[in-house]
Amino acid sequence: MREIVNMIVVLSLICAASGTLLVNLKQATRERIEQQVLVNVQGPALMAVLEGCDNDPIAERRTVGGVTVFPARREGRLVGVAFETFASGYSGDIGVMTGFDLGADRLIGIGVTTQTETPGVGTRIMKPAFLKQFRGHGLDAMALSSRDGDIDAVAGATFSSSGAVDAVRKALDVYRDIKPQIADLWPAS
Amino acid sequence: MSSIKKEFLKGLWDELPPFRVVLGLCPTLAVTSTAENGFGMGVAVLFVLTLSNAIISAMRKIIPAKVRIACFIVIAASLVVAVELLMQAYTYSLYQKLGIFVPLIVVNCIILGRAEAFASKNPVLPSIADGLGMGLGFTLSLTILGALREGLGSGTVFGVPVVWETFRPAHFLVMAPGAFVCLGVILAGMNALNRHLSRRKGEPAAEPQNAACASCASCNLCITAKREE
Repeated sequence: MREIVNMIVVLSLICAASGTLLVNLKQATRERIEQQVLVNVQGPALMAVLEGCDNDPIAERRTVGGVTVFPARREGRLVGVAFETFASGYSGDIGVMTGFDLGADRLIGIGVTTQTETPGVGTRIMKPAFLKQFRGHGLDAMALSSRDGDIDAVAGATFSSSGAVDAVRKALDVYRDIKPQIADLWPAS
Repeated sequence: MSSIKKEFLKGLWDELPPFRVVLGLCPTLAVTSTAENGFGMGVAVLFVLTLSNAIISAMRKIIPAKVRIACFIVIAASLVVAVELLMQAYTYSLYQKLGIFVPLIVVNCIILGRAEAFASKNPVLPSIADGLGMGLGFTLSLTILGALREGLGSGTVFGVPVVWETFRPAHFLVMAPGAFVCLGVILAGMNALNRHLSRRKGEPAAEPQNAACASCASCNLCITAKREE
């Protein structure tokens, strides 16, 4: 009997101590982790697709129809928006940040946020040679050239390339849906 | 003092975790696609292993024998979650690359193996030395394996280009099969070197299993079994 009580007490105490430690650590790191996720996951791609903006898109982000939209302003005027969409690639989802130029109604460019493609093969969709094809691209003909579009797939990585294109196509749909509301969300300052 | 030094040094060659004792192969094979990933994983294990050894060794007299495994796992798991949170907060890009293998440190055989075989039977200082040695050995092994695979597979080490321009990287080395090939080559090389060293000393060649047996917790069982035969 004493042995059983001893076992229960010791194990419970160890678990309680661990729990207390972890709760405190979790609370202490929560804000920093949220910040890290925004800066590291979305940040680099965001800055690439909203080049030339002079505001802080992460600080001014708003959720529209379930999508977090990042605005780009130049001299206080809203010039573009960017948001992230996902589509499946060769292994797992590819996250793509797409930036839209509101004035010209076309893409500013795209950047890959998250991916788990094969290193050295599928990851070449993150190279400028592939990404630059989206720079200034119109809202139509968004497909691989094998499917009557004008985006050339990365050789040997067709699944990864079409995953990226699918994600951009989803972004185009979202853009058409939310475009009428955008101007009201970020009034010129 | 010399015994502490001995405990520390054994993890660096004689009982080098992934290559001599062949423990903890899951992360060894999976995350070493680049030197940086291997190093990061090694440091995470080093941290968890040293602290878990220290805590378990300090508590070895109050942990009841029958629930010791549960206690070891709780301690290791808490440390791993702590490492995971700290990695997320301070080295996020490394956390992204290591992914699922950080939580899996909980079930890394090295952690539980050292707790059971060493920390639960020895005082705190030798246990810390043992954890540091083993962890450092693990870190070095993973970094070397990662550097080898990254160098030959993508032409860089720690992200710095190291090969000449006409070199064509063998992409398969950064993928899963390359991990097995590199590990096999390193194991073969280490065995050949060990055999060569013991031949020069005039000793009979040490079989690789002996090293694994020396760190095994159920040594008594083996010896009893052998006697009965």
